[in-house]
Amino acid sequence: MLTVSVKWQKEVFKAVEIDTSQPPYVFKCQLFDLTGVPPERQKIMVKGGLLKDDADWSTVGVKQGQKLMMVGTADEIVKAPEKGPVFMEDLPEEEQVVSLGHSAGLFNLGNTCYMNSTVQCLHSVPELKSALVKYSHSGRSNDLDQTSHMLTVATRDLFSELDKSVKPVAPMQFWMVLRKKYPQFGQLHNGVFMQQDAEECWTQLLYTLSQSLRSPGSSENLDTVKDLFGIELASRIHCQESGEESSETESVYSLKCHISQEVNHLHEGLKHGLKSELEKASPALGRSAIYLKESRINGLPRYLTIQFVRFFWKRESNQKAKILRKVDYPLELDVYDLCSDELRKQLEGPRQILRDEEGKKLGLKANEKSSGTKDDDVKMTDAEGSSNASGESSATTPQEGVLSDKESCLTGIYDLVAVLTHKGRSADSGHYVAWVKQESGKWIEFDDDNPIPQREEDIVKLSGGGDWHMAYICMYKARSIAM
Amino acid sequence: MSDPKSGAGTSQTKAPPKDHKKKDEKKDEDLSEEDLALKQQLELYVERVQDPDPGLQKVALESMRQEIRTSTSSMTSVPKPLKFLRPHYGTLKAFYETMPESDLKKYLADILSVLALTMSAEGERESLKYRLLGSEGDIGLWGHEYVRNLAGEIAQEYMKRQSEEAPIEDLMELVQQIVAFHMKHNAEPEAVDLLMEVEDLDLLVEHVDSTNFRRTCLYLTSAARYLPGPDDMLVLDIAYTIYLKFEEYANALQIALFLDNLQHVRQVFESCDDLLRKKQFCYILARHGIAFELDDEMCAEDSDREFLQDIINNAKLSEGYLTLARDIEVMEPKSPEDIYKAHLLDGRASAGASVDSARQNLAATFVNAFVNAGFGQDKLMTVPPDSSSGGSSGNWLFKNKEHGKTSAAASLGMILLWDVDSGLAQIDKYFHSNDNHVIAGALLGVGIVNCGVNNDCDPALALLSEYIGKEDSSIRIGAIMGLGIAYAGAQNEQIRSSLTPILNDAKAPLDVIAFTAISLGLIYVGSCNEEVAQAIIIALMDRSDSEFGEPLTRLLPLGLGLLYLGKQESVEATAEVSKTFNEKIRKYCDMTLLSCAYAGTGNVLKVQNLLGHCAQHLEKGETHQGPAVLGIAMVAMGEELGLEMSIRSLEHLLQYGEQNIRRAVPLALGLLCISNPKVNVMDTLSRLSHDTDSEVAMAAVISLGLIGSGTNNARIAGMLRNLSSYYYKDASLLFCVRIAQGLVHLGKGLLTLNPYHSDRFLLSPIALAGLVIMLHACLDMKAIILGKYHYVLYFLVLAMQPRMLMTVDENLKPLSVPVRVGQAVDVVGQAGRPKTITGFQTHSTPVLLAAGDRAELATEKYIPLSPILEGHVILKENPDYREDS
Repeated sequence: MLTVSVKWQKEVFKAVEIDTSQPPYVFKCQLFDLTGVPPERQKIMVKGGLLKDDADWSTVGVKQGQKLMMVGTADEIVKAPEKGPVFMEDLPEEEQVVSLGHSAGLFNLGNTCYMNSTVQCLHSVPELKSALVKYSHSGRSNDLDQTSHMLTVATRDLFSELDKSVKPVAPMQFWMVLRKKYPQFGQLHNGVFMQQDAEECWTQLLYTLSQSLRSPGSSENLDTVKDLFGIELASRIHCQESGEESSETESVYSLKCHISQEVNHLHEGLKHGLKSELEKASPALGRSAIYLKESRINGLPRYLTIQFVRFFWKRESNQKAKILRKVDYPLELDVYDLCSDELRKQLEGPRQILRDEEGKKLGLKANEKSSGTKDDDVKMTDAEGSSNASGESSATTPQEGVLSDKESCLTGIYDLVAVLTHKGRSADSGHYVAWVKQESGKWIEFDDDNPIPQREEDIVKLSGGGDWHMAYICMYKARSIAM
Repeated sequence: MSDPKSGAGTSQTKAPPKDHKKKDEKKDEDLSEEDLALKQQLELYVERVQDPDPGLQKVALESMRQEIRTSTSSMTSVPKPLKFLRPHYGTLKAFYETMPESDLKKYLADILSVLALTMSAEGERESLKYRLLGSEGDIGLWGHEYVRNLAGEIAQEYMKRQSEEAPIEDLMELVQQIVAFHMKHNAEPEAVDLLMEVEDLDLLVEHVDSTNFRRTCLYLTSAARYLPGPDDMLVLDIAYTIYLKFEEYANALQIALFLDNLQHVRQVFESCDDLLRKKQFCYILARHGIAFELDDEMCAEDSDREFLQDIINNAKLSEGYLTLARDIEVMEPKSPEDIYKAHLLDGRASAGASVDSARQNLAATFVNAFVNAGFGQDKLMTVPPDSSSGGSSGNWLFKNKEHGKTSAAASLGMILLWDVDSGLAQIDKYFHSNDNHVIAGALLGVGIVNCGVNNDCDPALALLSEYIGKEDSSIRIGAIMGLGIAYAGAQNEQIRSSLTPILNDAKAPLDVIAFTAISLGLIYVGSCNEEVAQAIIIALMDRSDSEFGEPLTRLLPLGLGLLYLGKQESVEATAEVSKTFNEKIRKYCDMTLLSCAYAGTGNVLKVQNLLGHCAQHLEKGETHQGPAVLGIAMVAMGEELGLEMSIRSLEHLLQYGEQNIRRAVPLALGLLCISNPKVNVMDTLSRLSHDTDSEVAMAAVISLGLIGSGTNNARIAGMLRNLSSYYYKDASLLFCVRIAQGLVHLGKGLLTLNPYHSDRFLLSPIALAGLVIMLHACLDMKAIILGKYHYVLYFLVLAMQPRMLMTVDENLKPLSVPVRVGQAVDVVGQAGRPKTITGFQTHSTPVLLAAGDRAELATEKYIPLSPILEGHVILKENPDYREDS
């Protein structure tokens, strides 16, 4: 009989007796009583070795009073979870995109940043994407020319490639077709392709798509692009000299923000842009006279495109010059006061609901007096809207395929979703970059093949006034409300 | 006689020696009356000396003597009597030759000797010559300057006689006198210098006394750094003897450790009979991290010996560290997110990861391990399984992929560092896993827990040795690396006999062999062990041509090099053998051996040699320049001046070197300034972290972590945070950034990686070995750290030490006392009692010490038993202390 002390974790069991006639397994069972560690989990250290269950005590050489150390726990053995975690590195490329949180960049094919940034901005419109997916080769209508068809197909393919890829995409096919359709983009200067105006690219591309994405089958000849981007303007043309007055309506794809000395904010620029003077023959006076044209919005699009008229033709230097003036634009835009009276009436209902919802979200009680003092409320919307703007923009869920969903109503309030900026001194030089808000609410700067995450507060800093990137085209998304 | 100096005009004292005849005429007119009188007086003496009457001669000589002696006390300008006697030096010399042997002749010789001080031509050593011919009276009577001059001439004469093999007895007699004079007059450095010149330092021991031995030894130890071998060893030996003579055992022990002389260490223990002081010695040994067994002669009492051995074995290190952590209130575990501080980078950080990235999870594993090292708790690995429904503890392990699980399981060892009892208990459950990677990690974890801690029962050896021969190579590597870490420096025979066969096993895979070589190198670090060296050499020779291209092959020469770490010439035989290796590895091996052998010596010649290798522009893709660059840092890190210089040389390499050199430069900078964030190096690395070559950038990022390791340096943390958003897309670089972030917050800022301790005097070989292995692995970042051998990062554990000052009372219980902590000042050779720290603040212990900090007690109430206030310091009550109220 030997007595030893056994150390287990922080405990020491003094005077444990060893019956040297029994195998060590018996000793382990003794320790099991003391510690609760099953014998097969016990590891007993004897001078740099482990005590084996069937060892002979005489060869182990344990001495009276020796300290032994026992390692072992009754803890549950760690088991691997049945379903191991999925790692990003193991995912196929398409799924990596999802976890990346944004789509791929586009390679610059030689001064094609104007095209890349345009594509990236339009790519952020899910409704356009789904409309393109529906477009098929066979669906080509007779009145559509071959090149338009090809451009549409190329756009569709490019958009789907952007969605699938993690690495930057080279828009070769798209570019070739674009040049074919619009030869002006193929202009060469010193043997390289020239920088082009992104606005022209944007307009032309949208025009083509509006041609091709008409669904010919339906009776009303639904125009997807028009439905998404088209702005109905009602204009009153008035001649001060003669007092003649006429009105006309037109449909445009973008609002112009004219920049003059007085314009400091987008809103002012838009108002400015909706008023114009034109000279035309007056039947009453029998000569040409100055007419004043005042336009108001009669129909709002789901995506409101605003172009900052930053470039003008400078006759003396024979080039497009750029206005560097700083024009602030908001993350949330309210165009209520640019609308015609009819449209305003239509908008009031949805706006009231929107306000109430926002009020509820902020923990305020819905206003009971709403019906009586509607007019006052409406006027306050602007101020209220901006105070509620924080974080609201991401609240609107992307609604794909709700084209025909009549239940959702526009409110006249828009959230900024994409900015196309220009850096440089003239339209045909410098650099174009697209800044696009992702579905996750994060902003990504698409600088050709290099997507860079950006902060929201930096987006509104692209308002010009220096040599930094400045907004050229802004795209706002309508905040709609279910009725 | 009137003092000739009083009232003397000063304008004409500095007459140039040339054409003094002309000047003399002019001067005669300018001289004041007193000077004129003195001059005439002296001229008269000169004449009288030549008088045939010995009586007159004697009087004249005596007077001349008197005149000179009274004026030689200060030496800012040539004293008047000497100046006026100058024209007569030749005459006196000539007359001396004609004199017959007599006392008078000796008298004259004395005077000539003094005159020669200003007159003798360069290299003639006439002062010495006449001194030896003179009366040999008290040397100090002639003034300090005379003695110094004489000492200089002795040194020259000694060299000459050595080369001619002429006798030197007469010189040595003089040396005795001079040394005695210097030692009495607070000029210890001069005395030491002279003795070093005449190669007879032993003389010093007789002359030191309790008032001057400290200054003497301080000078000796700092001079040793600049001496070529083997003189430096000799000098330190003398310092050791002196300390021992004056019973300053702790100092003696430090020198013994510096010399790596265990015989001396024994002697210290045997000469001291105070148990409390022995406890302090044990703390010093434990910090240095060498294996040392006490025996009966060193400590007779069994229970005391056991207690002392426990201190050496670092059994209480964990306890002390946790006391520090509680005092500083950093016990709360930190998660990797707390370190990344992504909220400070809003918007720029990558989009919320909905899917786990294996690489980022692995980075988080390491960050978690580094940050919570030694605290015993964290938020990923040690969470009790029942705390949440999913059992997050098990889950985190399985959030790592394949070999990542090895590092995850091993991270448990890091978190429970030094706490063997609970560490083993927590790791135990992973041994029963059916996943080989997890078992490998558990084995490695056992090694890490036992790093620097020895235990009688040798649990690491018992647990790991079983797995060495297993089939699966990841398990084998885990066990082998675990043994290497747990028994670094232990020179354990049993492990050697079980590991060496693997090296020469033809069937063993290369990675197993590489890690075996490293582990053996670690276990036998700096031992020059023949058998191990032989085994590694054979393993190197057995490698096939293709294997030399493998990234892990570089660990084989390194394992060999570690055997000779800091052993200088001892490496030569092996270096000779290495010349026969395959040419693909020959140069690499050569560089590694050279840099290891001279690591920490500050040897300038070796630095130049290595720089020479880096200056070549190679085209054939040789890899040996990487270790050469690291070698510069390893050699130069030994000494402050050399360190600064090599930082500059490395800047040049950066500009002119090829890519393989540029990749190694950041790592070398990281080693030079480890845990010491110098601003200039920080800026260089920050610049390189944006380098177009991604491997340079990776090395720079890791090095940013190394120089900031354990400092919580806010500037580096900020840089790394910005880098994390800059590189958010590049998974490899982001991984490096994360590792660096973990290093900066190593042990929440309580740990250091600096292998130097005790006022930068001692170099812990184990710590250096750990760093060097990690850095060598970083030379091929992509294949090793970013490949599947990321666990080499755990070699850093060898260098981890708490950067604390913990004062304990006589029962080794923590005792809080006020201390002043400030920037250390070099006081070597300074007169008086200069302040040793500057810009200090007063804290109460335990306190953290940054690089270059020094602490001193701010109270007289206690006496520290260690001369250097670092680590654990035992305080004894001062019996003379009076509470002033």
